Amino acid sequence: MTDGHVWNFAPVLENLPLLVSGMGGNVLLAICAIVAGFAVGLVGGLGRYSRKIIYRWPATLFVEVFRNTPVLVQIMWFYFAFPVISPFRVSSFTAALLGLALNTGAFSAEIFRGGIQSISRGQWDAGGALGMTYLQQLRRIVLPQAVKRMVPAFTNRAIEVLKMTTLASTIAYGEILYRGKVLSFSHFNPIETYTVVALLFFTLVYPLTRVVRRFELSQKKDQSGD
Amino acid sequence: MDYEWDFSAVLSNIDLLLLGLLNTLKVTALALCFGLALGLVLALLRLSQRRLVSIPAGLVIEFLRSTPPLVQLFWVFFALPLLVGITFEPLTAAVITFSIQSAAFFAEVFRGGIISIETGQWESARALGMRYWEMMRRIILPQSVKRMIPAFAERSIEVLKTTTLVASVAYADLLYQAISLSQQTYRPLEVFSVVAVMYFLLIFPLSQALNLFERYLGRSGEGTVH
Repeated sequence: MTDGHVWNFAPVLENLPLLVSGMGGNVLLAICAIVAGFAVGLVGGLGRYSRKIIYRWPATLFVEVFRNTPVLVQIMWFYFAFPVISPFRVSSFTAALLGLALNTGAFSAEIFRGGIQSISRGQWDAGGALGMTYLQQLRRIVLPQAVKRMVPAFTNRAIEVLKMTTLASTIAYGEILYRGKVLSFSHFNPIETYTVVALLFFTLVYPLTRVVRRFELSQKKDQSGD
Repeated sequence: MDYEWDFSAVLSNIDLLLLGLLNTLKVTALALCFGLALGLVLALLRLSQRRLVSIPAGLVIEFLRSTPPLVQLFWVFFALPLLVGITFEPLTAAVITFSIQSAAFFAEVFRGGIISIETGQWESARALGMRYWEMMRRIILPQSVKRMIPAFAERSIEVLKTTTLVASVAYADLLYQAISLSQQTYRPLEVFSVVAVMYFLLIFPLSQALNLFERYLGRSGEGTVH
């Protein structure tokens, strides 16, 4: 198969700090996108659950548009198209963050809606009968009950976002894959570089998926127990 | 905010975008065909009684699921040709990447469907004197496939969205055509907005059809796997 490729990891290992700090960029982007996305998702999910059309329709439009277009198209829209009408300067980090956060917002809106829907309307009414405002009902009664059921879906989404941050390399944000590409061009060693990039990402993501799966299993056991 | 929208440049080049759309569909269709076949093989290997077979198969599946698709694409496009001594067309690299990547996800769907069939089915098939492959082909797979359809459809829509990544290795899919058209016309806002709408018009009906089908399955009391 191979006509004698001599594997040489030395140049990659010399530049390992560069790649690892690049992965820090992935983690930073993921954290920002997840925090912002979950906040957008909560608002979107409440809008989708609302009985009032003026809340429900815009929320539905937002969710459907961002769930049914590719996330790379969203990122590129914010990088190439949005600056034309944007009042502020759009860096590659900002564009990637906007795309990822709104995409995450749309997907997590559906998670919030599902979680909130699983709590009966009677719980809201009971809160109302105690004189609580809408936000108090949400914060004190509904969300605490719904959150536990939503955790697996949210953690799965967060892992997806972490993987999606590599898309920022296409708009020249200096995360791990972009740095790997630059390194492999300057050292002519794509085999070793991309192999190391893949392994680094695997060591970041795989333990997370294990933790999530263990948590899901323990939750299933809890539910069958009671 | 007094930007003047001008779609004439986009509309006079719509044939370029339609060609890109066709290429997007081509990559998706090829990747799904190979991905499904390979996914079934991976699932059967992972379910094997021999640990020497099931453990490596599991490792391959986990690795492909825990690394970003763009990293895989770069590895196949930039690194693999040097290893095997053949240069790939961007289309070939894309089909290879998305086939093996979706195979890992399809394998988990197949596995979930196969283990969801009650052991009694296996036992009665064995009582009839069937061998493993006969049981699988005649009894187990036909029953489990219906449960898997929603998960397959959902994953196929994901693959369709993921094919946008090929734009980064210069394959003329819809997104790539958008990038080059926006550079020719200096109309990124119009071009990327039109392309986003095209993707939406393609994907939204598919997701809606899937929702309807899932509701139909739910009513007829069929379980599904995810």
